[in-house]
Amino acid sequence: MVRAPSGGRTDRPQTRQALDQDRAAELFRQVVVPHLADGLALARWLAGNASDAEDIVQDACMRALKGIDGYRGGSARAWLLTIVRNTAFSWLARQRSSALVMVGDLADIDEASAANTSGGADPQPTPESELIRRADQQMVAAAIAALTLPMREVLVLRDVNGCSYKEIAEVLNLPIGTVMSRLARGRQHLAALVRRAEQ
Amino acid sequence: MSRSLSDDERIALNAFVDGELDAREATVWANRIAADPDLAAARDEIEATRAAVAALDRPAVSAELLARIEALAAPAPAARPARRWAEGWQNIAAAVVITALVASGATYYLSAPRGTAFETLVADAHRRSLLAASPVDVLSSDRHTVKPYLDAHLGLSPPAPDLAPQGYPLVGGRVDVFGVKSVPTLVYRHSEHTISVVAQPGTTAIVAPKPLASGGYNMVEWSANGFVFTAVSDLEPDELLSFVGDYEAAASSP
Repeated sequence: MVRAPSGGRTDRPQTRQALDQDRAAELFRQVVVPHLADGLALARWLAGNASDAEDIVQDACMRALKGIDGYRGGSARAWLLTIVRNTAFSWLARQRSSALVMVGDLADIDEASAANTSGGADPQPTPESELIRRADQQMVAAAIAALTLPMREVLVLRDVNGCSYKEIAEVLNLPIGTVMSRLARGRQHLAALVRRAEQ
Repeated sequence: MSRSLSDDERIALNAFVDGELDAREATVWANRIAADPDLAAARDEIEATRAAVAALDRPAVSAELLARIEALAAPAPAARPARRWAEGWQNIAAAVVITALVASGATYYLSAPRGTAFETLVADAHRRSLLAASPVDVLSSDRHTVKPYLDAHLGLSPPAPDLAPQGYPLVGGRVDVFGVKSVPTLVYRHSEHTISVVAQPGTTAIVAPKPLASGGYNMVEWSANGFVFTAVSDLEPDELLSFVGDYEAAASSP
């Protein structure tokens, strides 16, 4: 009656397709929806503002629903954040390519690092740390926005999204050692930027 | 006296603050920090930076955005190709389920527990059981525990053979409530999959197993031994049918 792929199959291909759609919707609700807030937070820091972030997250959800078969267990949050990040990049490239500075490798970071931390790299005594702790939100937000993208995304994934190093490595498709060095530099730069802004 | 830290020291300090070092390394670094004011100052700075970022307001998922996103996954019968619905009673049944879901409120399910909406209830009960801490009220692979439990709570108990030799160990049983009816449900496991077998009493009919689907789960419904059974799982339809074959063979043998 139907061209079943293997003998003994009782389900028909078109039933299977309808089933798959139901299952995809169900999986989407279980895998994607619980992590929307994390997706939105990441998109906000990649896009630079909250309204673009909503568009990016909606776009990412469409991709996630379409590609839900690609979810193979593991961290659902890391899976969604990967899609949000990819969506943000293609979205930003389309919207305003000039605003997005793609920094390819660590050599670029080293340069940026040298430029950013000149004069501020020495370890500061504890009162200086208090200064950072008391910095107002706007100042911290501006400092995060001023970080180069590779450092910013690692820092946001860790300190805003609360991802583990392993999850960050998964989202960014990077070795864990690279994640660690970028995070260390990112925080160091951020501290220097906030201190400078407060003086 | 203040010195510049090496990259490796900085990375290790960050990992220490983030709790990403193993216990032995963490102890080593805790001791080093205690002995070295420069390391302690750098640690303070990392913690302060971390706290300042974590204290930022997070954008909230607005109700409007959530609605837009949930609409993406909502069933949209009109948007599906028409020819898919033209073949087979299963598709028509599925269309009825979706139409019922869209068109009716909760009262419909409660007042009409039989028919297509019943499968929806079974799927919901199965999903709830998976989200709960345990899918069963009585946890036992021993049918001599499961049957008396259901018997004591409902005054009836369906056959509860242990199918471990066939690859479906009995996990236990629970009571599902559909509308005003309390119904015994047996729970089996097959590798990572959970199978719920809902057993409604009150039939003398013998009806051969037939595959169904609802709410993203596959189902098989059949009648025997005085019960209408509905097996529900995320197993493939043919695997679920094979389970039902083993269950029936074991339930019907003395």
